[in-house]
Amino acid sequence: MTDNSKNITSEYHVASLIAYCILTEVEKVKLAITNIERTEIHAINEQGKIVFTIEGTSHKDIGKKMDIIRVHSGILNLSPVYHQVLDESADNDAIE
Amino acid sequence: MTINRRQFIKANAVAAAAAVAGVTIPATASNLITSSDITKLKWDKAACRFCGTGCSVNVGVMDGKVVATHGDIKSPVNKGLSCVKGYFLSKIMYGKDRLTTPLLRMTNGKYDKEGEFTPVSWDKAFDIMAEKAKAALKKDGPKAVGMFGSGQWTVQEGYAALKLMKAGFRTNNIDPNARHCMASAVGGFMRTFGIDEPMGCYDDLEAADAFVLWGSNMAEMHPILWTRLTDRRLSAPHVKVAVLSTFEHRSFDLADNGMIFTPQTDLAILNYIAHYIIETGRVNKDFVNKHTNFRLGETDIGYGLRPEHPLEQKAKNNGKTAGSSTPIDFDEYAKFVSTYTLEYTSKLSGVPEHKLEALAELYADPKIKVTSFWTMGFNQHTRGVWANNLVYNIHLLTGKISTPGNSPFSLTGQPSACGTAREVGTFSHRLPADMVVSNPKHRAIAEKIWDLPEGTIPATPGYHAVLQNRMLKDGKLNFYWVQCNNNMQAAANINEEAYPGYRNPKNFIVVSDPYPTVTAQAADLILPTAMWVEKEGVYGNAERRTQSWYQMVEAPKGAKSDLWQLVEFSKRFKVEDVWSEELIAKKPSVRGKTLFDVLYKTASLEKFALDEIPEDRLNDESRDFGFYIQKGLFEEYASFGRGHAHDLAPYDRYHQERGLRWPVVNGKETKWRFKEGSDPYVKPGSGWDFYGKKDGRAIIFALPYEPAAESPDEEYDLWLSTGRVLEHWHSGSMTQRVPELYKAMPDALVYMHPDDAKARNMRRGDLVKLISRRGEVQTRVETRGRNKPPRGLVFMPWFDASRLVNKVTLDATDPLSKETDYKKCAIKIVKV
Repeated sequence: MTDNSKNITSEYHVASLIAYCILTEVEKVKLAITNIERTEIHAINEQGKIVFTIEGTSHKDIGKKMDIIRVHSGILNLSPVYHQVLDESADNDAIE
Repeated sequence: MTINRRQFIKANAVAAAAAVAGVTIPATASNLITSSDITKLKWDKAACRFCGTGCSVNVGVMDGKVVATHGDIKSPVNKGLSCVKGYFLSKIMYGKDRLTTPLLRMTNGKYDKEGEFTPVSWDKAFDIMAEKAKAALKKDGPKAVGMFGSGQWTVQEGYAALKLMKAGFRTNNIDPNARHCMASAVGGFMRTFGIDEPMGCYDDLEAADAFVLWGSNMAEMHPILWTRLTDRRLSAPHVKVAVLSTFEHRSFDLADNGMIFTPQTDLAILNYIAHYIIETGRVNKDFVNKHTNFRLGETDIGYGLRPEHPLEQKAKNNGKTAGSSTPIDFDEYAKFVSTYTLEYTSKLSGVPEHKLEALAELYADPKIKVTSFWTMGFNQHTRGVWANNLVYNIHLLTGKISTPGNSPFSLTGQPSACGTAREVGTFSHRLPADMVVSNPKHRAIAEKIWDLPEGTIPATPGYHAVLQNRMLKDGKLNFYWVQCNNNMQAAANINEEAYPGYRNPKNFIVVSDPYPTVTAQAADLILPTAMWVEKEGVYGNAERRTQSWYQMVEAPKGAKSDLWQLVEFSKRFKVEDVWSEELIAKKPSVRGKTLFDVLYKTASLEKFALDEIPEDRLNDESRDFGFYIQKGLFEEYASFGRGHAHDLAPYDRYHQERGLRWPVVNGKETKWRFKEGSDPYVKPGSGWDFYGKKDGRAIIFALPYEPAAESPDEEYDLWLSTGRVLEHWHSGSMTQRVPELYKAMPDALVYMHPDDAKARNMRRGDLVKLISRRGEVQTRVETRGRNKPPRGLVFMPWFDASRLVNKVTLDATDPLSKETDYKKCAIKIVKV
């Protein structure tokens, strides 16, 4: 195994995911998600789908948080959708 | 409105996920995902590098490096989703141990089989390769050279390799690793329908009322399709899911009817369902009378082991007639399956009677639309072709086929097992578009398209994957090139049948790979390879969808694509080096030319000029060879299938689309084959037309349950099943290099029942040895977690190069498909 991870503190990572939950477990899953630092739930529908984001400082950070959520017994499936890295070493200007 | 970059990309992320989930959010951001002016990313589409699902991903490039990926919302396959492997896709190219120079085993500056890997130039690498290939050809002829390729090759790479081997070197000793994966499915399709690949498509996922998983852990192996299935199950409460396996896994979480069966008894369960349909009077007689024939297959066909093995000595029909069959009628078929009563099948399989009945009823009830999915549980089976035939029987008896939601669906393991291995025909017996080398008419068609003299392509099928390893060991296959796979980890019975062949002093082994895999390290020469979006290519997925992508980034300096390697190597051979004088005399114009001139720099390929490549696009191979080689190869290859029910669209269209499902006729893709109204090849007025068979009828086969090659006994008292896990792609050579995936599933553990562990005085985490008659492997015990085997069976994944479970597996194969059964052998476990 080669460890390619670098602890680059100038990186901002954001990932959005969908959790497909067992309907009766939605509340527990919500709690499990929000218990993790820098997560945010944006929407939930009546079929048990939770749309949420995870923010972090590295791939590893995001991956670790995903792992914690993924193994929750109330989740049937966890689908990552979007992932972007922002290298903030250059600039972080506000944009119009 | 002013927002900062963080808020902006977060809003994009939320909008993307909400759109995919079909959930409304009070967000202000929409359609912002690819606003490259702000993100400074250049986004482009590509097919995912991993499994056979064939997701489309958007790839974000900045400063010549892939920095972001997300599921492509425009893709009909994944509709914006990605799985955990796809999510980290961008990182597979950036492992620290990426190879950038050819490495040759040398001592004192000279090639030495026992020497150390030493960096050499590409020139030097091709010099020694050509020398060894020419020596092997001179000594023993074309049978002494061979190639092992991949369902991960692009279509163009597979096609270029096929030409080089079958026409250039005039050997059929080329086979893809899809032999380990899809060969039984191919055999099943050809035997029942006379044409390869599924009749249905992924749209069945939203149309079916019931899903049955046969030996497929979709939750881990096809997560995107599993997401669509989960979505269907949750949004339509009447939908039922049945899951069959030899151990409990993640897909059981969603199962309404989960069934654990004794290994190999799936054959009996399939026959029981047919019997149930007949017994309860639910045969769709109109469909069966119009569209099917019945045949009785040959039995006692052996286990594809070496001829001297006692099981082969004992088998009565393991010769060339193993695949033969004789016509029977419906009554004879009904009598044949009547042996498989509920009581008998339940006892044999260990599945409770009420569960079997509920399963059979899903198929029998004419109101329920059923989709059956299967993967390696059926295919990696010493009766894999039979298992495929038997599931088609059920769908044919009920007429539940080729209409939305009614679909026997063989899922694929690799991104282009369908496109490159099957459609291009990189198997030892095949040619493009389902043609075979043993048919003189098929050879003539290929020779005409390739503008080569009659008799160029040899008529005898070459060595298949398992036979290649045996022939290497026996010293009969002496020059061997492995591209885009990791067979030293993937092949069964490594100790006895794989490693000895690679290290046989008579042989010269070349392995092309981006990383120093186990296979690369067993080679004599390693060639560093470009991967995925470092080259342009086409993949074909499990639902017949053909997808293309452009080169987006440069490969690391020194690494070259498989296509470049194949074509550049062909320049080293004069036709006189490889063809007989007799053959050359049939076409004297080839005299003095190289294989590059004869196979690639031809009028057919060269007419696609460089100016057809958009100026802002990278394309290292084409700019090196002087013409648009990917387009040339694709268009020439496509000419095999156009007008023959394998029609592909013009190449350029694939750069615009998120793939198209063949046959593409008059610009329109085909969703359901063999059904009037949805398949242009179906004869009007026929309703259904299984046109792969001359009489348009599919075959219902009478085939029995026969036992596995090896079952537990007093000494080796456990079944061993091997397989994959969610986080790792096959042998892990790419995914093991992604820290997040490695961390999630670092080591291959042996999953066992807590009572089996207790009976052996073992606890979770104990170091143990798995021992078979062939070898042993050390690992740790896991009694919890996602896989829960029943007593008497253990499961160990094979992704871990440090714990090679294939040292203990048996190289028994399906005698019809030559695919290895990785799911069944006998072992014992002892504490270390």
